[in-house]
Amino acid sequence: MSDELYDKLCQSVVDGEPEEAAELAQMALDQGLDPLDCINRGLTPGIDRVGELFATGDYYLPDLIIGGDAMKAALAVLEPALTQGRERQIVARVVLGTVQGDLHEIGKTLVGTMLTANGFQVTDIGVDKPASEFVAAVKDSGSTLVGASALLTTTMLHQQDVIEALKEAGLRDKVKVMVGGAPITETWADKIGADGYAEDAISAVALAKKLVSG
Amino acid sequence: MPNIQPIRSRYRFEVLSGDQVRAIQDATLEVLDQVGIHIPSPRALDVFAQNGAAIDAERQIVRLAPDLVRQALAQAPRSYTLAGRVPGTELYLDGAATYAGTDGCGTQTVDFDSGVQRPSCKDDVAKMARVSDYLSSVSFYWPMVSAQDFGPLAPLHELDAAFNNTVKHVQSETVMGQASARYAVRMAEVIAGDRARLRANPPFSMLICTIAPLAQDKEGIEAGMVYAEAGVPVGFMAMPNMGATAPAVPGGALVVGNAEVVAAMVLMQLVAPGAPVFYSLLASVMDPHTADYIVAIPEKYLCNAAAVQLAHDWGVPVLAGAFGMDAAEPATWELGRDSVYTALMVPLAGADMITGGGMLKASTLLVPEQLIYDDEIYHTHRVLLEGIETSAEALAVDVIQAVGPRGHYLGQRHTRRHLRDIWIPALTHPRPAAPDHAQTDIRCRAKAQLDRILAEHQPEPLERAAQDELRAILEAARQESGA
Ligand code: B1M
Repeated sequence: MSDELYDKLCQSVVDGEPEEAAELAQMALDQGLDPLDCINRGLTPGIDRVGELFATGDYYLPDLIIGGDAMKAALAVLEPALTQGRERQIVARVVLGTVQGDLHEIGKTLVGTMLTANGFQVTDIGVDKPASEFVAAVKDSGSTLVGASALLTTTMLHQQDVIEALKEAGLRDKVKVMVGGAPITETWADKIGADGYAEDAISAVALAKKLVSG
Repeated sequence: MPNIQPIRSRYRFEVLSGDQVRAIQDATLEVLDQVGIHIPSPRALDVFAQNGAAIDAERQIVRLAPDLVRQALAQAPRSYTLAGRVPGTELYLDGAATYAGTDGCGTQTVDFDSGVQRPSCKDDVAKMARVSDYLSSVSFYWPMVSAQDFGPLAPLHELDAAFNNTVKHVQSETVMGQASARYAVRMAEVIAGDRARLRANPPFSMLICTIAPLAQDKEGIEAGMVYAEAGVPVGFMAMPNMGATAPAVPGGALVVGNAEVVAAMVLMQLVAPGAPVFYSLLASVMDPHTADYIVAIPEKYLCNAAAVQLAHDWGVPVLAGAFGMDAAEPATWELGRDSVYTALMVPLAGADMITGGGMLKASTLLVPEQLIYDDEIYHTHRVLLEGIETSAEALAVDVIQAVGPRGHYLGQRHTRRHLRDIWIPALTHPRPAAPDHAQTDIRCRAKAQLDRILAEHQPEPLERAAQDELRAILEAARQESGA
């Protein structure tokens, strides 16, 4: 019986059905199943499958995003029921945003989606965010990684402000900083003292993994 | 005499029926009235509030009733003139012609000498202004790349480089914020002569992007108000991307973009009734795997042409997108295919202005000789749309009689007269003495033509005093910014 429910949970993520995923999660709890097993044997294989289908090109971005929504909907039911010592494994917590004066939303959101699909817990603070909001979000979420996106040659200067603000708040040695966006280059990242630069969302995931493991 | 050849199309191509135009306009009015637009500017919110719009101050959302929209837009002029800095550069935005400009705001340049890709700088803006001054396909100039060697003052330096290196009209898409806009207006006054002449014959206009979905940029919209008050024509461009920042259907993307542009134009009319404004809507499709804005795709061409109809239905001129394609390399099959569609559809639809020449990689990479290729496609379209004459002189029955069967037309005066009227594509059919004639590779020919223009063409210089005044304004801006 439980195997069948794990499969259904998995499928609800693959199909991108948030309401169904939440209902199944509730049903599993009602039947007394272990929430961590539901996550590890239902949701995680589901989101992995979504990731594979996206990587092969069978899935489009909305499939990926709504698959992630289904996972989140089920997690919202399951996580409060997790018992001490049996928490969900996450790779790392990340604060992600587009810098002040810059309203380009899509690249940053895509990076966030890919990080989420790869096991990161992402706090997306949105666009046009001053350095102080990056710092505040790091404090609130306990993140160890900060991602700042900038699409304009005039706003890329604010990526440096984020790094300076982290220093001022005494957080710079506790977090890694990665930067990206169309005008950003490796040289620029080095110049402002960022820990890394990624050209696109896929390499952003690889970079994030490298930064938090090393 | 400045070299400008607009497209005068004999045909009119309508993507949307009258009923379809109405359906989109009605849906747009409904969205403006029910959903509203995010406008994060206290000044703009005040203006809207004073004029009876519904304001949600906390969320900075403005909702506009259909009557308010219609009354405001009724004040916007359908026709006006953009000028350059010498006589003969006037562009009459009256529906009779399509004028083309370059693409703008790139961040990388393929170096003119080394051919190596590098960050863009002010000198690139100057050089391309000179090339644009020469080419008859270019009626107005967008500073093609960012003057990254001038940091936050880059936008004003781009104007300086443009005004100094072409007599043609200059349109910017970067001078944002009230403070910078005031400096830009002062620079334009220097070029025009004085404030009144700036209004009557503006040598400068501005294009500001709206933010999809359904929002405005604070710096952009506040600069817009400064320009509208000074009589500098100001246009708004929406770039809804189907699937990402707009519904994944062309109709829905048109509604989203239309609402953004209309809201901005209404604000300009409320601030400065009768201010010259223009409309621009470049909807495209998101790459379903990378979220990129796909520049070359049929839905975009359809929307571009539809946007021309929507703008004219509102009674304002329109700037439509052409060229500026995805491809990373010039002279490729991909680029040829894409440029032809975008650049042909919009003059056919009756666009007043089109832009996009000279840039690759979705308007981020300046490949200088690309403007030479685009010039040639432009002229092909110009001739195509001018159509066929059927006057007695054009049917030439007398000449046909004179030559009779067999023989040839080489020695006819009629031939001598009219062969010169025919535009000959110079990249594929260079003149014998042209420096590129010996080259067989089309890329070398394009580069040789570019190099020749840069070596030989000097636009009429800006008067000494005006040059000095521009420099003084830049210096004042530098001091104020503390840079
Ligand atoms: C933290 O770690 C990381 C790691 C990797 C990261 C990362 C962070 N962030 C991004 N990445 C990387 O991974 C992502 C996924 O692969 C990638 O993200 P991207 O964002 O690059 O890619 C996205 C998936 C798809 N790409 C995009 O969404 C951007 C596409 C282009 C065409 C673009 C768009 C769509 C828009 N724009 Co804007 N826009 C352009 C862009 C030209 C281009 N081809 O890049 C660019 C960036 N814009 C430009 C300009 C000038 C402007 N724009 C403006 C406005 C807009 C729209 C609102 C219309 C719209 C954005 C809509 C929205 N809600 O997001 C204005 C500024 C508004 C503002 N204050 O921000 C305005 C100033 C125009 C105006 N006159 O008003 C140019 C910048 C030139 C410069 N000198 O910097 C521009 C290059 C186009 C051009 N040539 O004119 C990578 O960069």
